[in-house]
Amino acid sequence: MGLALTVEGLVVLGSDNRPILEVDSFALPRGALVGISGPSGAGKTTLLHAIAGLIQHAQGRVCWEEADLLNLGEDARTRFRADHIGMIFQDFLLFDELGPLANATLTAMFHPRARRAPLRKRAGDLLGQLGLPETPRVVGSFSGGERQRVAIARALAADAPILLADEPTASLHREAADRLIEDLVELARTRGTTLIAVSHDQWLLDRMDRVITVRDGRLASEGAA
Amino acid sequence: MEDIWFRLPPGIQDGLVLVALVLPVLALALFLLRGFAPGPLIAALLRRFRWANAVFVALIAISVGMGIGLIAQERGLRVGMAHAADKFDLVVSAPGSEMTMMLASVFLQPSDVPLLSGAVYNEIAGHENVEIAAPLAFGDSYQGASVIGTIADFVPYLSDGRMEGRIWTTPFEAIAGAGAPVDIGESFTPAHGHGDGADGDEHEGVVFTVVGKMARTGTPWDKAILIPVEAVWRVHGLADGHRVSDGDRLGPPFDAALFPGTPAIVVHASALWANYALKSEFSRDRETMAFFPGTILANLYGIMGDLRRAMSLMSVVTQVLVAASVLLGLSILTRLVQRQTAMLRALGAPRRFVVAVIWSYGVTLLVLGTVGGLLVGWGAAELLSRVVTSHTDILVRASLGWSEVHLAAAFLAVTSLLSLVPALAIPRQPITEGLRA
Repeated sequence: MGLALTVEGLVVLGSDNRPILEVDSFALPRGALVGISGPSGAGKTTLLHAIAGLIQHAQGRVCWEEADLLNLGEDARTRFRADHIGMIFQDFLLFDELGPLANATLTAMFHPRARRAPLRKRAGDLLGQLGLPETPRVVGSFSGGERQRVAIARALAADAPILLADEPTASLHREAADRLIEDLVELARTRGTTLIAVSHDQWLLDRMDRVITVRDGRLASEGAA
Repeated sequence: MEDIWFRLPPGIQDGLVLVALVLPVLALALFLLRGFAPGPLIAALLRRFRWANAVFVALIAISVGMGIGLIAQERGLRVGMAHAADKFDLVVSAPGSEMTMMLASVFLQPSDVPLLSGAVYNEIAGHENVEIAAPLAFGDSYQGASVIGTIADFVPYLSDGRMEGRIWTTPFEAIAGAGAPVDIGESFTPAHGHGDGADGDEHEGVVFTVVGKMARTGTPWDKAILIPVEAVWRVHGLADGHRVSDGDRLGPPFDAALFPGTPAIVVHASALWANYALKSEFSRDRETMAFFPGTILANLYGIMGDLRRAMSLMSVVTQVLVAASVLLGLSILTRLVQRQTAMLRALGAPRRFVVAVIWSYGVTLLVLGTVGGLLVGWGAAELLSRVVTSHTDILVRASLGWSEVHLAAAFLAVTSLLSLVPALAIPRQPITEGLRA
C-alpha cells in the first residue's frame, strides 16, 4: 500500500541562495495518482526531487507518513529511498550493455542479500507483464518504448510503495506513450502505489486522480484531473 | 621478531611479503564490496569503454613489463656472467688492469697484454697447492671464433669432462667449443688477430684438424677453439717450450728458457683456502698479478648495482606517471557515467556502493594491466636474454622471480589505493546535479 505525503513550508534554494521553489502546503492520501504539470522551468522536477529527498538544501517539511525527509540525515534518506521509492526518469537511464532483467534488478545489487531473490522474481514477472519476455539482447538494442518499460520494471521491482516519474513519456512516440501510461496506471492501481508523475502529456495527466500545476516556482493550482 | 623472520625459509618470506603488499587492497575490497553484488555494473563499464580500457590495460602492461623485464634481465646477465667465471678461480697475469685481464681470460675479449715468463709459469705449475695451471695464449681466430692455446688438462676441467671425440695428441689437433664454426673431422687455418683486422694469410699452410668437441657450457668459451699452446708459439715462429730433442711433446713441464711467454695463467687450486694463499703469493709488484675474477665481477656488480637502482627508480617513475595518466583517464571516464551513478544514488544506492563500483572498475583494469605486465616482462626478458646470449655467448637465463612479482604487487597496491581518489569524488556530487548533467 502506498504512503501518504504531507508537504509544508517547502523552500528550495538555488545556487545563488534565492528560492527557486516555494510551496505552502499540500497533502496526498495513500495510493493517490498525482500529476505535476506546468511550463518548462517552472520547478516541476525540483518539486519531484524534493519529494524524493534528493535535495540537500531545502527548508520546511516533506513527510512520507512519519518520515520527514528534510530532517533526515543523508544516509537515512538514502535508506528511505531504497526501501520506499521507485523512480522513472525521462530518458530511462539504463545501462545499455546489460539485458532487461539485469537493468530491472539493478537495485538488488545493493539491497540486503535476503531481498535479492524475491526482487529478481518480481522483476522477471513485471517484465513478463509488460511484454518483455526473457531475451539475451542488451537494452541498447531496444526501442524507446521497450526501454521505458524496463525502467518501469526497475522502479517497481523493489515493491516500493511510492513511484515517482519524471516525464516518463517524453522520449516516446504517441503509441508507445499510450501503452506505457496504461501499464503504469494499471500497475500503480493494482498495487496501491502512490504515483507522482511530472508530465506535459495531457493523456497521462487525464488518467491521474489529481493534478498539481507549478508555475514560477509556486503551486499555481491543485485539483482533480 | 627479527630472528623469527630470518629463520623462515626464503620462499615463505617472499610469500609473506607478497601477502603484505596485496593485503591492503584485499582489505579495502572487502570493506567496499561487503554486502554488495556490483559485478554486472562493473562488467557494463568494462564493455562500455572497451577501447579506452584496452588502451589503459596496454599502457599499464607495457610500463610494468618494461620495468620488471629490465630488472629480470639485469639479474639474468649477472648470474650468466658469474657462471661464465665459475671455472676461473684464480688468474695470474703480468701486472696491469685486472678488469682487462678478466675480460680477456674469462670473456675472451682480445687485448694486448704483457706476457708472463716460463719461470713464473713453472713456479705456479709446480706449486704444491696447484692442481691445474693452464696458460692461455690468445691472438688468433677462425671465422670470428677465438683460437686459444692451452694445455690438455684445461679441456676436461673447462667442460667438466663432457665432450665428444678425444683430447689432442699432436700439435695441430684442436678441440672446438659447442658453438664454434667447426666440427670433429673438419680442418681449418687460423687467422692472425680478431675481427675485421684479422690477417687470413699470416698462417698460410698451417692446418688444424678438430678431434674433439666440448659440450655447451653457457660461456663465451663455447665459441672458442682450443689448441695446444705449443702450436700457437710455433705458428708465430717462436720456440714451443720444449727442447728440440723432445720432439712433438705437448704440455708441462716446460723449459723456462724456451717458454715464449703467456698472457695469463688460469689456476685451479687443490682446495678453496689455497686460492687465497696463492693469490697472496703471486701478487708481486712489477712481476705478477693474481686476482679472483669473481671479485672483479662483484666490484662490477657494485657499479651495476647503482645503475640497477637508477633503472629501478626510472622504471618506478615511469609506472607512476602511467598510473597517474590512467587514473586521470578513469576519472574522466567515470564523469561520462555520472548520470547513471546519480541515478543509482536516487534509487537508494549507498555512497559506498557507488564508490565500490567505480573503484572496482579501476582496479579491474589495474589488475589486468599488472598481470599483462608480468607476461610482457617475461616475454621481454626472454627476448633480451636471447639477444644478449647470441651477442656475447654468455648464457643469460632471465626469469621472473619474487622481486619482480613484489614490484608488480607494489605497483598494484599503490595504484589501487590511489584509484580511491576518483571513486570517492563521484558520490560527492549532488544527486540532482548528476541527474541533470
